[in-house]
Amino acid sequence: MTAADLHRPAPEAAPPPAARPVPGWLRLAWLHLVSRRDPAAAAMLAGLGAVLWASLHWHWNVAGGAAAHRAIPLSIETGAAMVIAVTCYGPFGEPERATGRWLPYLRLGAAAALTAVAFGALAAGAAAGGLPGGVLALLRNVAGLTGTGLLAAAALGGALGWAAPLAYLVLTEGAFAGSWTTPWVWPTRPPHDLGGALCAGAVFAVGLLAITVRGARESLRD
Amino acid sequence: MTATTLPVRSRPQAGQPGPLGLARLLRVELRRNTMPWLLPLIAAVFWFDSYRIAATLPPLWNLRAFYILGQGHALIDFAPFVAGVAAWMGSRDGRRGLADLVTTSARSRFAAQFATWAATAIWAVGGYLVFMAATFWALSRSIAWGGPPYWPVAVGAVGVAAFSAAGFTAGAYFPTRFTAPVAAFGGVLACGMSSQIGFASYGGWGLILPTNSNNNYGQDAGIFYQFLPDLPIARVMFLAGIAVALVALLGVRATAGSLRLRHTAAVTAAAGAALAITAIALALTAQVTAYGVVIPALHDAASDRPIPYTPVCGQAAGLPVCVQPAYQPYLADVTAALRPVGTQLTGLPGAPVRAAQVANFFAAGPGALSPAGVGQIARISGRPPVLYLPLGAFNLPAIFGSSPTGFADQIKLETVHAFVTTGKSYGDPAQMAVEAALMRWAGIPVAAQPMQVLAPSPWALPSNGPHPGSTYPAPIAAAATRFAALPAATRHAWLASHLTALRAGQLTLAQLP
Repeated sequence: MTAADLHRPAPEAAPPPAARPVPGWLRLAWLHLVSRRDPAAAAMLAGLGAVLWASLHWHWNVAGGAAAHRAIPLSIETGAAMVIAVTCYGPFGEPERATGRWLPYLRLGAAAALTAVAFGALAAGAAAGGLPGGVLALLRNVAGLTGTGLLAAAALGGALGWAAPLAYLVLTEGAFAGSWTTPWVWPTRPPHDLGGALCAGAVFAVGLLAITVRGARESLRD
Repeated sequence: MTATTLPVRSRPQAGQPGPLGLARLLRVELRRNTMPWLLPLIAAVFWFDSYRIAATLPPLWNLRAFYILGQGHALIDFAPFVAGVAAWMGSRDGRRGLADLVTTSARSRFAAQFATWAATAIWAVGGYLVFMAATFWALSRSIAWGGPPYWPVAVGAVGVAAFSAAGFTAGAYFPTRFTAPVAAFGGVLACGMSSQIGFASYGGWGLILPTNSNNNYGQDAGIFYQFLPDLPIARVMFLAGIAVALVALLGVRATAGSLRLRHTAAVTAAAGAALAITAIALALTAQVTAYGVVIPALHDAASDRPIPYTPVCGQAAGLPVCVQPAYQPYLADVTAALRPVGTQLTGLPGAPVRAAQVANFFAAGPGALSPAGVGQIARISGRPPVLYLPLGAFNLPAIFGSSPTGFADQIKLETVHAFVTTGKSYGDPAQMAVEAALMRWAGIPVAAQPMQVLAPSPWALPSNGPHPGSTYPAPIAAAATRFAALPAATRHAWLASHLTALRAGQLTLAQLP
């Protein structure tokens, strides 16, 4: 047998199954999502939706005023933003940046898609009824909180992206206690309030832009 | 000579990793730790949530530190962040797929992980202590007397270490990128639940929670009597036990090190758990005393000694008024409030010859120490009569919406109440009318008294709804207005002759002039 023969399949060998070719862009997107653990993040977001449903269905409550009344739903929304922020962390660093022409678009798509998944999961959880502010406030809060997480990921690194939504939660609780009404603390505003929605939307847009253009900051301390 | 004839060299002894090596490892971990990156953010949160509120409270250590330490806001501000960062550090090797590689290194896996945790905890606890020191310094600038409570600071520091241990162990056992936010979220939930249970628990196991201020914080602790360390010691034991148990769990795993090390770790984990359980058992034996929570097994009788002080005094219409030096900022308010009341009472039988501040004590639940079902209130007693004011039980200016006017009104009300009713909760109609008239002459209009003075007092006017009554019953208001309209000399003369009967409840409204 010569080397040339190797190119020819043996006459008795069965032909390989005709695998349907996966489009390159789809495979790239999937690999990006997997490298950021987005499927696991989606599962966690679904879990948070279930927790929200349980909290509303069984009327979990915290004693106190307005801040306490919204504490549990707001904490769950914060948890969703924290999960999304952590998915910005990428393990590949320089090689990925050097070769990944589509990387900004992938980052944009992944962050936007996960935010949509978070909103969908929590909105499904809110179906139990009684969510303070309703679905509109939920959308505003999730978007704004996610924006803080994306900004923190861009500034501090994906590993610490969760810290900003958490800090914002503390700020919000303090604002509720102090009866603040600034639209920058949008959870304190009514659901139809334009100022709160604009601020939350602006933070989300800036966060999305930062993570798209710059990506999560990389630190050797990771 | 061939290779086989070479003298056999003795096998080099594997050097035992010594403490110097561990210190070097710790130094490396301190340098490469993520925690310092988050300290500025925690500082901002701490300033906003803890210091900013505390600085607005009255300049007394027990009140300013109540919010930060008593209700545990300092720990709440730190704990979720520390748990998250510790989880990130704990999951580092696992996330990078280096677990097998580092397991084969000279030092045991547990030693390396312990160094990483220790570095994280040192940064976190160090940051906490620095922030607390800066906070105390900033708060102390306007506090006249006394010092901060240090045991609750220790509770917070050990609590921070415990949360770092919890986060780190979670990260080591579940090394994913999601462990950090989940640990931080868990920290939020743990602190929230601790606060929730703490607000409602006046005894039992709930006292062990570091955010529970009931019966162990506030009142006049640190002013008239010492901050009792019993409960903070139990809390330190509880949190230290949890921290030790969780860190020791790192050494139980098969990859942690030698069998002996794993056995030692298991025993240590059990000891830590036992320490935490012991602390809970101690909390169950707690008794609420006038000075706070006493745990008999931990109590030191020296803690019951009152704090010596030299009172600071002023004058209110010839009435000497003395307060504890910590309350010196309020002396002018107190004398100003007593002046118009003292002017009316001078020369009457049973009128106080001086006023002195007395301690506000702890109680076994709301109102349990009340002399007449109304909490701790002013009273006049002794021969010669002395007006005793528990200023610590009053709504001091700047305490959650109270104003200097409200504080002064409360002093006036309680003084005339102590004079007319001798400390009963509600007076009879005649007593209420005389009280209203005396307050009228002390500067509070009769019509304004029900809402302005009585509503926030322990004897608000009853009503049919959930809110206190907003007007005096018509006969009382009429009698009070009539009595207040009398000339001062006539009023004084009538009181001098009828005060004994009035106090005994033997007069009716119709008998008032």
